[in-house]
Amino acid sequence: MTRVLEALGIEKTFRNGDEETPVLKGIDLTLDKGELVALLGASGSGKSTLLSIIGLLLAPTAGSLTISGERVDGLSEKMRAQFRNRRLGFVFQFHHLLPDFTAMENVAFPAAAPAGGISPAMRERARELLTRVGLEDRIDFPATRLSGGQKQRVAIARALMNRPDLIIADEPTGNLDRTSADLVLALMREVNRDDGTTFLMCTHDEGVARRCSRQVTLEGGLLASNISETVDGVAR
Amino acid sequence: MFVFLVARRYLFSSPSQTLLLITGVALGVTVFVFITALIAGLATLLTEQVTGDSAHISLEPPTRVARVLAGPDLPVESVALVSTFQREQIRNWPMVVELLRSDPDVTAISPRISGSAFLVKAEAVWPVSIIGLEPQGIDAISEISPNIIEGDVDLGADGLLIGVRTAEQLGLAAGQSVLLRTERGVERQLTVKGVFRTGVQSLDERIAFVSLQTARPLFVLPEGVTNIEVKLDDPEAARAKARFLAEATGLRATPWQEKNLGLEDALQAQGRTGTMIQVFSLISIIIGVASALVLSAYRRRSEVGIMRAFGVPSRFILLVFVLQGLLIGLIGALIGCATGYGLCIWIEGITRPDGTSILPIAPAQGGYVWALVLTTLGAVVASILPARSASRVDPLEAIQQ
Repeated sequence: MTRVLEALGIEKTFRNGDEETPVLKGIDLTLDKGELVALLGASGSGKSTLLSIIGLLLAPTAGSLTISGERVDGLSEKMRAQFRNRRLGFVFQFHHLLPDFTAMENVAFPAAAPAGGISPAMRERARELLTRVGLEDRIDFPATRLSGGQKQRVAIARALMNRPDLIIADEPTGNLDRTSADLVLALMREVNRDDGTTFLMCTHDEGVARRCSRQVTLEGGLLASNISETVDGVAR
Repeated sequence: MFVFLVARRYLFSSPSQTLLLITGVALGVTVFVFITALIAGLATLLTEQVTGDSAHISLEPPTRVARVLAGPDLPVESVALVSTFQREQIRNWPMVVELLRSDPDVTAISPRISGSAFLVKAEAVWPVSIIGLEPQGIDAISEISPNIIEGDVDLGADGLLIGVRTAEQLGLAAGQSVLLRTERGVERQLTVKGVFRTGVQSLDERIAFVSLQTARPLFVLPEGVTNIEVKLDDPEAARAKARFLAEATGLRATPWQEKNLGLEDALQAQGRTGTMIQVFSLISIIIGVASALVLSAYRRRSEVGIMRAFGVPSRFILLVFVLQGLLIGLIGALIGCATGYGLCIWIEGITRPDGTSILPIAPAQGGYVWALVLTTLGAVVASILPARSASRVDPLEAIQQ
């Protein structure tokens, strides 16, 4: 099995003047290709901090981080941005779509901005992704005219645009009603199953977590449990 | 270019706000253009008023000074003396006139014999400056023919043209004779052929014209002239042309600016005032653009944050905001130049009963290229700070907002 993520001894301490707040106290976490892992834990347990460190949005105080075989914890800001763009995808609790752009432009944005334009291939890929998330009739709709569930599906399509090795999802269904949440989760599982894309998803929802291949629980900045389960009867 | 598309979308996402911003820039540029055109028009008017009835360059014989003569053949120190009786003159004036005629920048040439004299009629004596010139060149420097109010301009062998104030002082009219006594002590009875009124006091009160041939015996100058007056196509080029003529002819060449130092100071002060107004217009444009973009960058923090999160380079975000500044500056400057030009044309068209404009404005000299370049550059400079701040947004902080 290909190792996508290897986080060893991850520590994070926030400093405010002389006051130090240790949030992560030595986390070891590995993810293999094709896993759909739920990250659970109470508020303040360090889930979001760990997710930010793995997403290269925050530097760890200590520990090593390897993604897709590349050591990334010592990269410069510019290199981290390039790595995020090429290897990682993000889905947040709030969709964070760019309101002045269409669904297709939002999806193509992560590829188009560094390349300097939307090439026909990018346009085709964005179309294909929007069709896949069930929005083929909303391709040229402005982002502002989409419903909450549709916006989150566009956000998933955007995360997939550059064919990332790992998608980091922070409460992706937290802002949605039950129907939209089920739809988004089903979509993520479909992408995970069909493409083998690895997901690390932070959630408070036990029901959502049970539909993942593995549940990792954080407690007081430490890994409390790491349980593998079956999803829809398929052994993982 | 994708970055241009993003900048354009951001700029026009709030059309009313963008319209207000562009209107502000356009107003600033309109003021810039209007002030530039007005100052240029004023400078032209003042220059024309000062040089309209006088020469742009005066060529005179070089000033002679006593000097020590050096040389191996001279056993004792010798000194060249300057005769006070000998009249300074330009002997080779036909050659100088030929040189001037070959110069395309020269529009009028008037070789002259100038000197002081008294007009005597019965008991009345009136000091005048006599100008002896070629009769066909009477209007070369000052417009005399159109300003004849009595008699005509035909000088003839013993004719004299006098200003209206001189005529009033001596009770003279066209056709009457008057005695002329020159600084050389020569006296001659001349006939007043015409009386002119130019509106320029110094001309109407103190100048009298005779033909060059009449002037020669009066000032004891059988061949030379005392000065050559020159008019140029561009009065502003007088200094450079005077330097050239001085070198080419060996004569003393005085540009009109040196005779009117006060005017030059006034024009420079006026120019500085205009520059101050232009600078303040530009500063207000820069402040307006900067504050609008600071607000825009703040409002779009979360969008910029998400772009940074999925790895869009900071350079791209920097360019998005700089391009917005560029677009605001360019569009505002183009509109401002057009409205500024329109305003100048409209004001130029408002005339007094005599047909002259109420304001001496020069629409063609509105400094349009400068307005366009400076405003666009200013707007780009104004966008740099907000652009830098946007490009440094911490993605995590922005996403968590």
